[in-house]
Order: sequence, then C-alpha cells, then structure tokens
Amino acid sequence: MKRSSVEIITEWDIVAARQLGRNEAKKAGFGTVDQARITTAISELARNIYLYAGKGRIEIERVTDGGKDGIKVVASDEGPGIPDLRKVMEDGFSTSGGLGAGMPGVKRLMDEFKVISEPNNGTTITATKWLH
Amino acid sequence: MNLQVNILEDNSVQYFKVVGEIDAFTAPVLKERLATVQSVQGLKAQLDLSEVDYMDSTGLGVFVGFYKAVTANGGHVKITGLNRRLNRLFEITGLDEIIDIEMRESEDNDGTI
Amino acid sequence: MPQVVGKQYKEILKKYLESHSEEDLYVGQQFSRRFIEKEIAPEDVISIHKTALLELHPELQDEVWDSLDFLIEMMIHYGFTLRERQSLIRKQEIIQMEMNVATKVQNTLLKTESPIVEGLDVGWISEPARQMNGDYVHFINREHESSVAVADVMGKGIPAALCMSMIKFGMDGLVGENSNPGKALSTINRIVEKSVDDSMFISMFYGKYNSENKMFSYASAGHEPAWHFSNETGTFLELDAKGLLLGVKVDSVYEERSVYMQEGDFIVMMTDGVTETRTEEGFIEMKEIQNLLLEVKEKSASQIAEHVYNNLTEAQNHRLSDDFTIVIFKKK
Repeated sequence: MKRSSVEIITEWDIVAARQLGRNEAKKAGFGTVDQARITTAISELARNIYLYAGKGRIEIERVTDGGKDGIKVVASDEGPGIPDLRKVMEDGFSTSGGLGAGMPGVKRLMDEFKVISEPNNGTTITATKWLH
Repeated sequence: MNLQVNILEDNSVQYFKVVGEIDAFTAPVLKERLATVQSVQGLKAQLDLSEVDYMDSTGLGVFVGFYKAVTANGGHVKITGLNRRLNRLFEITGLDEIIDIEMRESEDNDGTI
Repeated sequence: MPQVVGKQYKEILKKYLESHSEEDLYVGQQFSRRFIEKEIAPEDVISIHKTALLELHPELQDEVWDSLDFLIEMMIHYGFTLRERQSLIRKQEIIQMEMNVATKVQNTLLKTESPIVEGLDVGWISEPARQMNGDYVHFINREHESSVAVADVMGKGIPAALCMSMIKFGMDGLVGENSNPGKALSTINRIVEKSVDDSMFISMFYGKYNSENKMFSYASAGHEPAWHFSNETGTFLELDAKGLLLGVKVDSVYEERSVYMQEGDFIVMMTDGVTETRTEEGFIEMKEIQNLLLEVKEKSASQIAEHVYNNLTEAQNHRLSDDFTIVIFKKK
C-alpha cells in the first residue's frame, strides 16, 4: 500500500500535510464532507506536533480491511509526551488549550483512534477513517 | 463583576491596589495575582482595599491563604483602606489579631447602609 | 436515512425557491428539528443543501459550488464543538446525579438531633443556598448539658461538606472537660489546621447550656457574635468572645464566657447568611433582625427561628444568596 509523509517543522508544513491528506482522501473516494473532516483532523494533529513537540511527522496511508477501503493517518513525534492520556481524551479539555488539546474532536472526526504516549518518549497517534 | 489588581513595587514593599468586589467569582483572580509573589523570602506586602466595598468569606479565604504563605517565608502582610464592614469582618474573625490592618481614613464613606 | 432526509430537504427547498412564502420557511424550521434529532452535523446540512441545489439548479456558477465547499470546511469545527457540547451535557447529568447522592449522604452523615434538656426550648433552621450546605449545626447531649456548634465553612459545595464530616467526628470525641466551649474549639482547631487547605477555614460558635446552674457558656472561633435576649430588660446583648477562625493557627486560644439565663431569655446563634442578608436596598441592618425577633419573643424557639427565616428570605425574593442558619436556645 502507498504511504506518504510530511515532516512537521514549521507552520507551513501543517498546510502541506493538509494538502496531502485531502488529495489522498479524494483519491480514496471520500465525499467533500469527509474530505474536510479528514483534513481537519490532520490539521489538528499536525498543529499539536508543531506547538508542543516542536517537530514530528504525519504519515498518510490508504488501507483496506476485509473489502473496506479507508485512510490511515499516523502522527508521531519525539516530544514531551502526554502525561495524563485519560484527561486529554476528556471533553472540555480542548478548551483549556495545551498539550493534546482537541483530541476528542479528532477522535470524533475519524472512525478509529489510538494514542500511544510516554512521558519524555514522544507520542504516536493513529487515526483511521473508513469509506462507508 | 470585575476585579482589578494592580501591582506596584515601591522600594522593598510590594504594593497591591485592589479595585472591585471580592466574591466567589472574583476571588480566584486575586488569589492568582497574590500567588505570584507569596513565596518570595521576607516579602513585605501591602494590600490597599480602599476601593473594595464588598468582600465575602471567599475573599477572606484568599487573604488567610496569602498571610499563611507569606509568614511561612518570613514576610509581613499589611492590609489598608478597610471600610467599616470589612473592618468588622477582620475583627469578628480574629484576623485583626494576626494580620496588620488599617481602616479607611474616611470610614463613614463606605457605601453601606 | 440521510438520502431520505436529503430528498425531503430538496422538496422543501424547491417549494421555497418557487414561492418565497413564510409558510415554506415554517416547514423548513420544523424540518431543521429533524436534523438535530438525527444528530446531523452542520457540515452535513450544508452538504445536503449543496446536493439539493445541484439537482435543482445545475446551471449555477462554479463560485456557488466552491463557496459551499468552503462553507463545509468552515463548519467542521462547529460540528465537533457541538458534539463536544452534547457530550458535556450528558456528563453534567451524571455529575448532577452523583451530587444528589452526595447530598443524601451528607444529610444522613451530618444528621443531628435537637437536644432535650430540662428547661430549654431549642429551635433551628439551616438552609443551603445551593445544593450542598456550607453551614453546619451539630448538637451534643450529655445528661444535664446541651451543646451546640454553629459553623460556617468557607467555600461551598463538596469541599465544604467533606470538611464538615471531619468536624463532626472531632466533636463526637469530646467528653468531660474537653466539651467546654473554649477547650472544644482548641481541639477542633488542631484537627482542622492539620487537615485543610491553606485558603480554607471555618468559623464556629460553640455554646453549652447547663440545666443545673442555668448558665450558657460559649466561645467563638471567628464567628458572628450570638445575641442574648434578656426578657427582663427587653434588650439584646452581643455575646462576643475572642478567638481566631479555625484552621489558621495551630495554637489558637479561645476565650470562654458565660451568661445566666432567666425565664423567657433566649440566645440567637447565626451564620453570616443571616447577618449579611443582601437585599435590593443593600445589607440588612442588625436592628431589623432584632426587631423581627422581638415581634415573636413570646413564641416557641422553633417559631422564632421560622419567623426570622421567612421574613429574611422574603426580603431576598426567596432566593438565598448564602447558606442560612439560625439556632435559638430559649429558657422556658
């Protein structure tokens, strides 16, 4: 399966990651609304990397699972990590800003969502959306 | 309700001018501002409440917390410009015995009925 | 299902574009409820709109379609903020349910029995302004003695309630000489000082009536002075005793005083929810409260407490701004 990625170092890289995500989502056959959702999710993930980890990477991959087609986004960084994952995934936390803000929103925009994070060992977030 | 806290450093004295009403909604603002200096060793703090006409027990809580933190670090707290009602609050609670307080000069002009 | 909604939406839109009538707008408004019921996100609504318009008016310029795509993009955040809000509302409902349970637990845990001691009539009211009460009344009965603690825990709600349980257990352990007001307050002060947060404190009035010598002894930890109504002179005397709030200094000393109670005399113990009653015209004057008490001085202790409560809540348009507690000890 095809896999492409964008390094996130400056704010412009967020735009590049969005563009890549939108193109891939379109190719995979997602409609306008889902394209926008996937792009917004990528945007949020890339922004978190840019703001809190300094640098990292967004990878986008077309995936299939038992006849289902979809798109998988992996956001990884070697930043400070998220100390309290449960808190970050709580609604209302996004309003407080800070590390991991907007995670519940990203989760809702996508179909599957997984976070692996250890203090001082970076964070890897995997989010997948399936074509319905 | 609004609360303004202005900080002025005059020689070694940290001077706070508080303007507004201190209640459950505004007390956190005051608490936050005071927290920025309370761990300074040997702090001399003066709080001017001459433009505070109302304060409830939440506000008193902030001053007690501040007093405890400052004295623990060898500092001193003085509260000035109290109106009659606020002064009574400090007296009733016995806080006037441990915190240096001063009443407003024109204590009749305190907006209470 | 979205296809069905989309089809219906198209029909309504079509009708409106032809008629421009208020009636069709009304139908549209009703229809929008279905969007919300079916939890259709704002971005989907615009997408439905775009699809319908594309079928009705394919001849429109590209700018229209592009701008609708732009609008979809704009709405994504609204959509997830809306969903976050819905989930917060559900969460709040759960918290509310837990609060109800906590209130019940508090009421059971802090339940106190009015004292029955010879020659003393006791009446009291303690009403919270919010769900959980930050004021606390606790009675202790020992043979010919009746003690009462009237406390106001700074801060409201759950932290205050937890603090009260602590006081209660501290008080229940007081026996013999340790149950004298001054000593009792020093003991409770030590418990509180060790356990609470720096900016949290409690004011407490502690009174004890002895039916053998008919003396009322009292001490105060930074609490509102109580009043002693003398039936003989028809006047009120402030019962003030020196003492610092609980939880501020570990070695606080509490002055203890006492008064002799004659027939028809009564003691009024209150929290600042009573004395700091704030009406539209400003703070209520002590004199006004005393006048209320005078109006019913011949009545029972419960009736006196109720009279003050009813009048002061009425003055605040039946909305309490602070927890309200009044306790009356009346000498029969």
